[in-house]
Amino acid sequence: MNLTRRHLLALGLGAAAPPSSPVFEQIPPSASGIVWTHDNALSDQRYLPEALGPGCAFLDYDNDGWMDIYLVNSGPCDFFKPAKPLRNALYKNNRDGTFTDVTEKAGVSGGNFGLGVAVGDYDNDGWPDIFLTGYGKCILYKNNRDGTFSDVTRKAGLETLGFTTSAVWFDYDNDGKLDLFVCSFVDYGPTAHRSCGDNSLGKHYYCIPRFFKPTASFLYRNNGDGTFTPVQAGTAIGQSLGKGLGVVATDIDNDGRMDLFVANDTVQNFLFVNRGLNPRTGKWNFDEIALPAEVGFSAGGQPRSGMGVDSADVFGSGFQDLFVANVDQEMFSLYRNMKNGSFRDVAHLNGLTQSTRLLSGWGLKFFDYDNDGSLDLVLANGHPDDMIESYSPAVKYREPLLLFHQDAGKLRNVSADAGPAFQAAHSARGLAVGDFNNDGRLDLLVGVNGGAPLFLKNNSAAANNWLGLKLEGVKCNRDAIGARIRWSAGGVVRSRLKTGGGSYLSSHDPREILGIGAVPAIDWVEIVWPKPGAGTQRLNRPPLNRYLSVKEAVKEA
Amino acid sequence: MRLYITFLILLCLSCQAQLSDFEGTLKEAIGKHQAGDIDGAIVLYRRYLTSRPGSFLVLSNLGAAYARVGRFEDAIAQYRIALKLTPANPSIELNLALAYYKTGQTERAAAGLLKLHVAKPDELQPTLLLADCWLAMGRNKEVASLLRPWSSKEPVDLAISYMLGTALVRDNRVAEGQLWVDRILRNGDSAEARLLLGTAKLSAQEYPAALVDLTKAVELNPTLPDAQTYLGQALLGTGDSENAAIAFRKAIASNPNDFSANVQLAMLAKQDDNFELAQTHLQKALLVRPGDLGARYVAATVDLQQGDRLPAKVDAARIALESIVRQAPSFTEAHVTLATVYYRLQRKLDGDRERAIAQRLTAAAQQKQQQGLNVK
Repeated sequence: MNLTRRHLLALGLGAAAPPSSPVFEQIPPSASGIVWTHDNALSDQRYLPEALGPGCAFLDYDNDGWMDIYLVNSGPCDFFKPAKPLRNALYKNNRDGTFTDVTEKAGVSGGNFGLGVAVGDYDNDGWPDIFLTGYGKCILYKNNRDGTFSDVTRKAGLETLGFTTSAVWFDYDNDGKLDLFVCSFVDYGPTAHRSCGDNSLGKHYYCIPRFFKPTASFLYRNNGDGTFTPVQAGTAIGQSLGKGLGVVATDIDNDGRMDLFVANDTVQNFLFVNRGLNPRTGKWNFDEIALPAEVGFSAGGQPRSGMGVDSADVFGSGFQDLFVANVDQEMFSLYRNMKNGSFRDVAHLNGLTQSTRLLSGWGLKFFDYDNDGSLDLVLANGHPDDMIESYSPAVKYREPLLLFHQDAGKLRNVSADAGPAFQAAHSARGLAVGDFNNDGRLDLLVGVNGGAPLFLKNNSAAANNWLGLKLEGVKCNRDAIGARIRWSAGGVVRSRLKTGGGSYLSSHDPREILGIGAVPAIDWVEIVWPKPGAGTQRLNRPPLNRYLSVKEAVKEA
Repeated sequence: MRLYITFLILLCLSCQAQLSDFEGTLKEAIGKHQAGDIDGAIVLYRRYLTSRPGSFLVLSNLGAAYARVGRFEDAIAQYRIALKLTPANPSIELNLALAYYKTGQTERAAAGLLKLHVAKPDELQPTLLLADCWLAMGRNKEVASLLRPWSSKEPVDLAISYMLGTALVRDNRVAEGQLWVDRILRNGDSAEARLLLGTAKLSAQEYPAALVDLTKAVELNPTLPDAQTYLGQALLGTGDSENAAIAFRKAIASNPNDFSANVQLAMLAKQDDNFELAQTHLQKALLVRPGDLGARYVAATVDLQQGDRLPAKVDAARIALESIVRQAPSFTEAHVTLATVYYRLQRKLDGDRERAIAQRLTAAAQQKQQQGLNVK
């Protein structure tokens, strides 16, 4: 082949062109400064808590408008005495793509066998507080508004002994104060540490949670004075014995009361529908309706190993759909809301069962990564058993992340084009979504069991327009969990519920980003504040491609 | 008088004509049977039996014809009538046992085969079938005892080696079992040996390893019974449902009455929302094993899944599931699905009742699982 001058020029130009950035670009610790790693406390005995962590969070702990990062570690407990001190990590965002470890100064190093993190402003002072779950006891860190936190667990009444996993802040009784739901996993107290003996390799392995007794999860009512009262007793929450791993607060029937979808491991999932105050008993009334709602079991009537969850109006029906990730061979489920209190699994129609058959899913989130206006989905995966490949070689311990893009009302697996981090395998657990560089594109933080977290910068669709909203409740809870946002752009009206929790052991950026694609303007945005909020607030022609703080407008009395 | 004689003559002529008609019918039926026109043969056998219901040979033939088209329950009925007429007829007993075997009524098949084996211990076919039944029933030690006398005869039948090896491996006498596998392999790589190895790995959920052996098995003998079905299961285990479906279809091409392949294809079709195809496969499977709870349950879930589009299907699912839980009261998944059906039908009280049963069964199962573990 004879190369012409033009060919050579073209080749030369091609060689000189910078390689295009991956959709999600992994930022290495050397660049981000996030050098902390998770210690999973791996022992020969294979104690179950070792396999479950860690959680992670995006939060703006110092209210400077830039997302900081919190990472949860294991720690000393009755079966684990670390050789060197272990601690959680709080990384302050330096606003230049790097982070500084401020854990010691902030006083949030943990000290329990930590698993999950739930961030919420429980005292409505405008500063995010941190709740940590784990094996042993939980911790509540109150934000002192000066870059430091105080451990107020005991005073708040939130020690919550046992084996707790995901937690969610939400205002179940619409009194304007964030309450707390804490998933309880199995009965794994000091007398019940179980070993499942030797596997085919002659080694101990992680018991399947089926072997442990189920437990009831916790619901704490916020008393408004820095203390909480456990109120699950006598409610469906207290009566439903499960093995909770994931929870999302959502509103499946649009009645303005937040419901809870709980993923359970090896027993049925729970869907606690909030019915309000029962005047007869004086107790708050939740109905557990997972079976009639058709979200409790597989289509074959079997309980699965539910782990990560999320809820969103995925297909723009005006109702919240649900998602639950399970262990390999069980497939994940995307439940479409039928608007009558029941759901149908549409995972297969969206290519999800095919992609997840051999995977075990934990952290996950519906989010619009390319700001085209439709919700996409990210899934963090990894098998819980580190020896799985020895006796089930088709299943891997480390598994790839998955990214699904929504096209014309259907999800499509686009992981192959999402960047090298999606081609590599990880023992991923928690996953948090947040915009760490304030460019309007949601980035990813993934907790890795026994390793360094994955920090992925979103480089997609920079040309698409967006509006970021930071909602501030006044009469309603300050975080505005339960607020409904509607917006109109290019003749299309979309809506989003500000849910609480979701994913697995993790907490997302509290801001909402509304993507509108190439449309040049948003005509209006409506915010329906949750009760006892002041109703609906409207913004006309808001500015684009920036964050906007919206404070609940309360009429003077 | 003349009239009477004429009448007698006419009567005799009529009898003769009838006799020759019956013989002609039977001859034609056998001809059709032999030519492969089974449906035609069935019609003629039945016509013959309306007048000669006591012909055990024709009953047996009709049974064989039914079996040939997969109507095993009808075949069983004919064989049983025939056996009442000629008790302990070994060929009919063998056919009856085979029909039980094909319909998954393993215990009944084994009982019949044991009788035949005791009567004629040197007959290979009933012995092999009995061994296979016992393998399916987990009576591995008895399989080993049954086949030991045959294993000393040279040359050892490949099937004997295969089943003896399987029984020993399953009885945790792996090294001893391996000797029989090696024995098969000594004759060169054989499909039977690969099938044995593959199924052992399959039951240990070692799907990729099972896949290697089962792929080889079907390469060596594409028509080896059950090999394609097991291959399909291994492929499913590795997540390759597309090729699994191909393997199941091949299994059905060589044996349209392959129960497992039909059920698996039904489940794959159900996953793809291809409910019509799912029901077609389930109908075929249920023709082979009419009472099979698993297949009936899958059929009910297929009906339920169509319920949003075709509301009558929800009620069809209800009827099927009510029958299933009556027959198998501890079938937890069926109670769960029946509860779902009741809720869809707005029968909350019934739904609550079924839900409570499912919860009780689940709790009992969990309690069992929680026992017997070491506490550290």
